[in-house]
Amino acid sequence: MAAPLLELRELAKSFGGARALRGVDFDLHAGEVHALLGENGAGKSTLIKIVTGAHHPDRGTIRIAGETVVHLTPATAHALGIACIYQQPALFPDLTVTENIALRLDSDPPVRRINWKARRERARGLLARIGADISPEAEVRALSMPEQQLVEIACALGAGARIVIMDEPTASLTQKEQELLFAVVRELRASGVGVIYISHRLEEIFALADRVTVLRDGESVGTNAVSEIDEAALIRMMVGREMTQIYPPGEASPGDLVLALRNLGCAASGVHGVTLDVRAGEVFGLAGLVGAGRTELARILFGLTPADCGEILLNGRPVAPRSPLDAVALGIAYVPEDRRRHGVVLELPIAHNMTMAIHRQVFRGAWLRFGAERLLALEFIRDLAVKCPGPEAPGSSLSGGNQQKVSLARWLATKPRFLILDEPTQGVDVGAKSEIHKIIRRLAKEGLAVLLISSDLPEVLGMSDRIGIMRGGTLTVVLPGNADAHAVMSAALGQKP
Amino acid sequence: MLLLYVLVAEWLFFYWAGTTTNRRGVVVGFGTLDRQFDILRHSCEIGLLALALTPIILTAGIDLSVGSLLGLCAILFGKFWHDGGLSIPVAIALTLGCGALAGGLNAVLITALRLPPLIVTLGTFSLFRGLAEAITRGAITYTDFPASFLFLGQERWLGLPTQAWLFAGVAAAVWVLVHRMTFGRGFRAIGFSPEGARYAGLPVARRLALVYVLAGVISAMAAIIYTARLGQAKADAGTGYELFAITAVVLGGTSIFGGAGSVHGTLLGVAAIAVLRNGLACMPAVMRMNSAEEMAGLLTGALLLVALTASVLPQILSHYRSRPHPA
Repeated sequence: MAAPLLELRELAKSFGGARALRGVDFDLHAGEVHALLGENGAGKSTLIKIVTGAHHPDRGTIRIAGETVVHLTPATAHALGIACIYQQPALFPDLTVTENIALRLDSDPPVRRINWKARRERARGLLARIGADISPEAEVRALSMPEQQLVEIACALGAGARIVIMDEPTASLTQKEQELLFAVVRELRASGVGVIYISHRLEEIFALADRVTVLRDGESVGTNAVSEIDEAALIRMMVGREMTQIYPPGEASPGDLVLALRNLGCAASGVHGVTLDVRAGEVFGLAGLVGAGRTELARILFGLTPADCGEILLNGRPVAPRSPLDAVALGIAYVPEDRRRHGVVLELPIAHNMTMAIHRQVFRGAWLRFGAERLLALEFIRDLAVKCPGPEAPGSSLSGGNQQKVSLARWLATKPRFLILDEPTQGVDVGAKSEIHKIIRRLAKEGLAVLLISSDLPEVLGMSDRIGIMRGGTLTVVLPGNADAHAVMSAALGQKP
Repeated sequence: MLLLYVLVAEWLFFYWAGTTTNRRGVVVGFGTLDRQFDILRHSCEIGLLALALTPIILTAGIDLSVGSLLGLCAILFGKFWHDGGLSIPVAIALTLGCGALAGGLNAVLITALRLPPLIVTLGTFSLFRGLAEAITRGAITYTDFPASFLFLGQERWLGLPTQAWLFAGVAAAVWVLVHRMTFGRGFRAIGFSPEGARYAGLPVARRLALVYVLAGVISAMAAIIYTARLGQAKADAGTGYELFAITAVVLGGTSIFGGAGSVHGTLLGVAAIAVLRNGLACMPAVMRMNSAEEMAGLLTGALLLVALTASVLPQILSHYRSRPHPA
């Protein structure tokens, strides 16, 4: 048998303290579709970025067609015939298909007459090879998402790609568009191209792939031929991890109903028909894959993208937050996912950040009271054990976990009735993570209703009194807090348990 | 802090180089009290505009229309008084109202339509000046204001030029707004991170509207004292002042990217520019060449670039020092 097109051995990569890949083996043969499967954060993106030359591995070897490649850069990856088709095509919307393809493939000297006719013919030829009915003259802006993906694939073919990586290519496609794309993938396979196919949709993997590799926590759990494995086994491989952390025990008796959503939706953010109840003293976990609509739901509740149908009942009273300002006044607090952009103003002191949502309460008549602010900040710093030089230190001087605590303090200071936490421990070290878990549990015990959005499966399982699973913009299932990982992952993937 | 030293050095230099004794043995030039008061009078108008711009630049915005609005408000004031037959206080009140309206136009375009402040105020920069010229058809100059009004711009009150008191009052008010009230917190948060401010539940649109409306009112005040100082209202009043005002704000340490800065810094920046411009006009060498304006422009520009370079130099140097050698 010939050497594989791509061979990765013992690949490892860390970002700061976080180990994204811990010695992964992977290989891809010519004329094969090899699916890559794993939870959010399992290391798929890192692996792809190493293969495309965007990241350099800490250790491990990369062999392409039997040749060891020492220093892979985006340019050498391109030259070696590696192409990546992303979920969101990266084309220039104001240029035509011909121009976009030429930009990728040509490196003409700056001053030369351009042979437009040849460029058009080449574009037409490449598009014909993958059976795409797209005019080379069309502006990319006017093309649909799948058509743009086809243009990307045409670019890849034109560059002589032998290895094509597809990162969740069907995430925004309709059934019919998917079939068109599948036909193109099969076409590629037949012509001897190796395809790495990343998808969360198991049925696609069974329909399309020859082999499947499951990644978990930066390690390869196993590679199997698709014909020799079933869906249940794949899900087991994805979640089968022992609980390494001890989670604080839950509160047994939730109190009054705090938040009730009735058929809530917002067309602009793709959320529809969400119905759920959260009680005082309860941690309601919200699980699902990236793009399932969890953050979008939080943004509706916080007034960032107001709902356009359904009802929000807060303590039994219908409310309609139209802006974060409204939401704060109603007692809804949101600790956002992206703390560096939304959670903390990094340049401002910790104290300023902590009082930012309670100007009216602390600073009556809009007059700053530095003493009161300092006391309040010191109290939160002590209470949440924020490691910092003092309340005057800027947010940027803190570690991720401590920034998250500052963001949390800002919202606890508003004395909310309902607290939304969006990925509260993402990118946070283990120590701070368990501290944040204890804080969440304590807040629930004090009677707060908490909506915990998390892609960290053990965290959702360990922290939640009940677990809702979102998929495709709506809440599909609500499971009890003692549900197992398999059930949650099955539901998130849209499989019958 | 650096700017304070520059200002002192500047002042001492001109005291030494710009003060002379004339044939009759009288001290003339920079070192006289009259000249110092003149500097104060001249800096009030640009100073007011710089005060108006400080909160705006803190929010990472910009207002290029303040100089044109000064011209428009001067004309409106003249028209209200001369053609409308209104009393001076009523005309002033109306003019301030018009300033607020003009600032409101900027505010609506920037907050409701989310257009970039640079483009919006570039538009109103032309619009306001054009309106002023249309009203006067480029020919009318309003003069013959009563002495009681000219007192505001040409006389002294409690020992200082009258308009200096107004300037001090506005400076104190803006300082309190920015440094002692929650509004200032909002401006900074918006300047550093508009999205972060929104996620914190701050009223971003209201805060932005406030700074632009306030700039309109303060520009109208500048128009009143400008008219009172010269005793006439013309459509070209305050041409180019917006650039001096922006220079003063940036020289005073306010970041053009928003967030960082202070009102006292702006005051120092205004003083540095005013002393430079007036001091040059007192230097015999400059007077002989009749080139005070050119020299002032050149040195103001140089001062700004040097100050900006000095403010970023430490970071750049440390960056180079800490950068590892390429493999």
